Amino acid sequence: MNIRCARPEDLMNMQHCNLLCLPENYQMKYFFYHGLSWPQLSYVAENEKGHIVGYVLAKMEEDSEDEPHGHITSLAVKRSHRRLGLAQKLMDQASRSMIECFNAKYVSLHVRKSNRAALNLYTNTLKFSISEIEPKYYADGEDAYAMKRDLVSFSQQHDTLPADPSTFYETKTPEERKRLAAIAQENRNMEE
Amino acid sequence: MPSSQPLPPKENALFKRILKSYEQKQYKNGLKFAKQILSNPKFAEHGETLSMKGLTLNCMGRKEEAYEHVRRGLRNDLMSHVCWHVYGLLQRSDKKYDEAIKCYRNALKWDKDNVQILRDLSLLQIQMRDLEGYRDTRYSLLRLRPGQRASWIGFAMAYHLLHDYDNALQVLDDFRKTLTKSSYDYEQSELLLYMHQVMFEGGLYQKSLSHLQQFEDQICDKLSLMEARAQLYLKLDRQKDAEEEYRKLLKRNPDNRQYYFGLEEARGLTNEDIKLQMYAELRESYPRAILARRIPLSYASGEKFRSLVDQYLRHALHKGAPPLFVDLRSLYAQPGKAAIIEELLLGYIASLIKCERFDEKDVKDGPAEPASAILWTYYYLAQHYDFHKDSAKALHYINLAIDHTPTLIELYVTKGRLFKHAGNPIEAYRCLDEAQSLDTADRYINSKCAKYMLRANLIQEAEMTCSKFTREGVSAMENLNEMQCMWFQTECAVAYQRMGKWGEALKKCHEVERHFVEIIEDQFDFHTYCMRKMTLRAYVGLLRLEDVLRSHPFYFSAARCAIEVYLHLHDHPLQDEPTKEELQEASLPPLELKKLRAQQRKAAKKAEQEKQEKLLQQQREQREREQREREQRDPHTDAPPVDDLQPQKLARVEDPLDQAIKFLQPLQEWGSNHIEVHLLAFEVYLRKGKPLLMLQSVKRALKVDPNHPQVHSCLIRLHRFLTNGDLLSENVSHPAVTSVLNSETQPLFSNHNDAEQLNKEFLEQNKNSLPHILQGAKMMCFLNPTREAEAVALVSRFSDAYQGVTVQTCSDILKAFQKGEFGEAGRQEIDDFKALCHQRMPHAVDFFSGQQVAPSANHNHTVEEVLTNHVSNLTVEDGTN
Repeated sequence: MNIRCARPEDLMNMQHCNLLCLPENYQMKYFFYHGLSWPQLSYVAENEKGHIVGYVLAKMEEDSEDEPHGHITSLAVKRSHRRLGLAQKLMDQASRSMIECFNAKYVSLHVRKSNRAALNLYTNTLKFSISEIEPKYYADGEDAYAMKRDLVSFSQQHDTLPADPSTFYETKTPEERKRLAAIAQENRNMEE
Repeated sequence: MPSSQPLPPKENALFKRILKSYEQKQYKNGLKFAKQILSNPKFAEHGETLSMKGLTLNCMGRKEEAYEHVRRGLRNDLMSHVCWHVYGLLQRSDKKYDEAIKCYRNALKWDKDNVQILRDLSLLQIQMRDLEGYRDTRYSLLRLRPGQRASWIGFAMAYHLLHDYDNALQVLDDFRKTLTKSSYDYEQSELLLYMHQVMFEGGLYQKSLSHLQQFEDQICDKLSLMEARAQLYLKLDRQKDAEEEYRKLLKRNPDNRQYYFGLEEARGLTNEDIKLQMYAELRESYPRAILARRIPLSYASGEKFRSLVDQYLRHALHKGAPPLFVDLRSLYAQPGKAAIIEELLLGYIASLIKCERFDEKDVKDGPAEPASAILWTYYYLAQHYDFHKDSAKALHYINLAIDHTPTLIELYVTKGRLFKHAGNPIEAYRCLDEAQSLDTADRYINSKCAKYMLRANLIQEAEMTCSKFTREGVSAMENLNEMQCMWFQTECAVAYQRMGKWGEALKKCHEVERHFVEIIEDQFDFHTYCMRKMTLRAYVGLLRLEDVLRSHPFYFSAARCAIEVYLHLHDHPLQDEPTKEELQEASLPPLELKKLRAQQRKAAKKAEQEKQEKLLQQQREQREREQREREQRDPHTDAPPVDDLQPQKLARVEDPLDQAIKFLQPLQEWGSNHIEVHLLAFEVYLRKGKPLLMLQSVKRALKVDPNHPQVHSCLIRLHRFLTNGDLLSENVSHPAVTSVLNSETQPLFSNHNDAEQLNKEFLEQNKNSLPHILQGAKMMCFLNPTREAEAVALVSRFSDAYQGVTVQTCSDILKAFQKGEFGEAGRQEIDDFKALCHQRMPHAVDFFSGQQVAPSANHNHTVEEVLTNHVSNLTVEDGTN
């Protein structure tokens, strides 16, 4: 088993793994979009033959009012390669890069309410917690749990330096954040 | 440059409004303004207006009118950059990029500094990999817009892609100096790392290292920084520094194989014992890292290996690790290791049964193993024996495992795989169906089940299975196509091919081909996007990936299927359906025919039902499609007509060999390490009557594997082609070609003028290998039909000592008998040969006789039904093997 950062040539095989394992699928262009926007954030696990048996596809949420944070678009490990702790290893590597390259303060994801196995993994192994319920999030009408994992404490435990310590460690009140977001928006408007 | 047909102010204002309407997608308004100009007889032939009208029509989906107007406009004003630009845009929208490039170039002749046209041109040039053209265009853009970041980056990148590293670096460095930011800036960090990449690829290691040291603080992608540095230290012979860097990397990610190898290289380790010592230390530091335990298994040998693999196995079996066998399989290529593993495992079982420990000696110290330990040991052994093609033992152990824990899904998957390898796709799919029923919420197991259904030619069932996870409201087939699910489409194609549904098979192959076209198209948007985002390393990676995209195994499988089908269609062109069926039946012996009739009645009934369902389904889909199109459509435009792939049309192709060549060419370019590519190429060019290309295929095949049995049959047929005066004179007109063929083929034919002699030698040299004997025997019949009985005897009296006595080879022999490749003698041998093979390979369905097929309870499909699919296609195989 080998865990490494994904490269453009992995993206097609990640799509294949995604189609085999998960009900939420995406066209190649969406994989390209991830790999070419945030090349540091996606990781793959490959077996002895170099076949991809698991991956995490991740991105940054940069335009929201919120602080910069990572988002897990998709995480899969083939059933034939469970019990090796691959999901955790993939997630830890991706989280680390989010902090180092993009100053992400937390990472978020969505999980189907009915997917108990995944919920268990995220809650118990990966230390995510439910932040809210998003009704009818999935195409088939199922609700999603929106979950978050704090990366500030992760960075301390894993000895990871953030991209910009001056903003990474300071905590802001919601009001402050809103104000900063408004300023950022204004700046963007001016640029345009 | 002013237009050669200047408009007076009023008309000029109208023209500007056409442009504006086009930009705002107000196409109807655009047409209105155009009409106002053109209806004035003085300007009825105004070139630029006609062009813009055409461009507007194109956006409304009225392609023919569009081309007509644009061409007329251009004819009227050949010196207008607008007319040329518009013609280029039109071609580009039709993906005729080469044509579009020519148009843009003409446009630039009349307006050389038009930034918009230069940008459009540069995108097409990079898309088409006209790198020199791209560099020149990027230079013009830099000259015209030196203040823009993308101008610098694009120009530098052009140099990089042309391997002109010095110039690329010069431009990048000039640009870097304009950057001022010293705090966190992701884009700057990416630029600095891109500069490293250019230096590294240019072999400027020292320069690159200094660069990284200088800007270390501004590079936030620490992983890339460390990996780059470690690599550079190795290149620069700074072993100590390299070692330190790799140790840091391992600390960060002890599951990366490259870091372990890097560390070995840094320490200059070649001695096995010292390597093993290093891994022993690493195991202490990283107890959770699998690689620190796994890698040494490849290095160790003898008793050392036994002790290490013993620990490794016990650890995994104790914990319960499903992928254990897959993980260790690569060790089986090293002599003796499989035997040691087998011995250990059998020992565990004996001991676990006796005292719940892996070793009886452990009884005193340590707790008992969990009950699952023996289960995972059985599971491993089943796969171990399957690997060695011992299906009896493999089944024995997998059944023990299932008896132990009947709810473990993995066991049924493995059992299914055993049956697949033993030649029984029906039993195999049943096992997977069972597995799938135990966890219907898991798509992985669902996908595997669908795949096995396809292997058993149960296409509808497979689609139904997949539909549990595809989007509601569309058929599974359609959704899987939309999602570019190539494994499914390729497996479908191959199943249709087995069933002799040529058109359906081709449809699936073409769908896969279209995905590749689409994925190549996908890069277009990233040409501008990545320069903005500064993710230049990833972008270069994308370009390099797209350059060789069709080297992907998905393309290989689909293309191989398509080529085989086209070859078949060349050999057996379809006329009307019934004629084809009759032809098949004519070649069947009476008993088979009776069976076929019964199957046909059943199939006809089923087909009628399916047809009804399909019709309803199609109507539903049609309605849905129209609905969706209505929703997506811009209110002003008509969607361009969809180019549907129709199986019936595809199967009645007029130029099957030319179609085959379209699929073949990418394989020849990127798959030339597969011998199959050259064997297929030979079949195509043989039928095309192209001896030089046949020769080329044979030579390439020999280069990949000089001992491949099928190369021999190519050689013999090439020999026959060249010695048949009529054939040769028909296809080769130039004496120089004949002389090249002669001098090149003499060594290949070992200077034999007689093909039969060549064949005889081949058979003598390979008298213990069944796949070789099959090819030699086939050629014996081909060269001399009076020797058919002799040839049949050769292939049907094999002994256990022979190599290559596999389900596949025996199946190939049987098919050759059934297809009449061995004449009447072969047909008469069928029953005896089946019986002989059945004795050796009791699970393989190909060797079942009618009576042996036992219907199975609790299942939707009787073996009889499933076999229908398998038997009926034996007669319609193509002639390529």
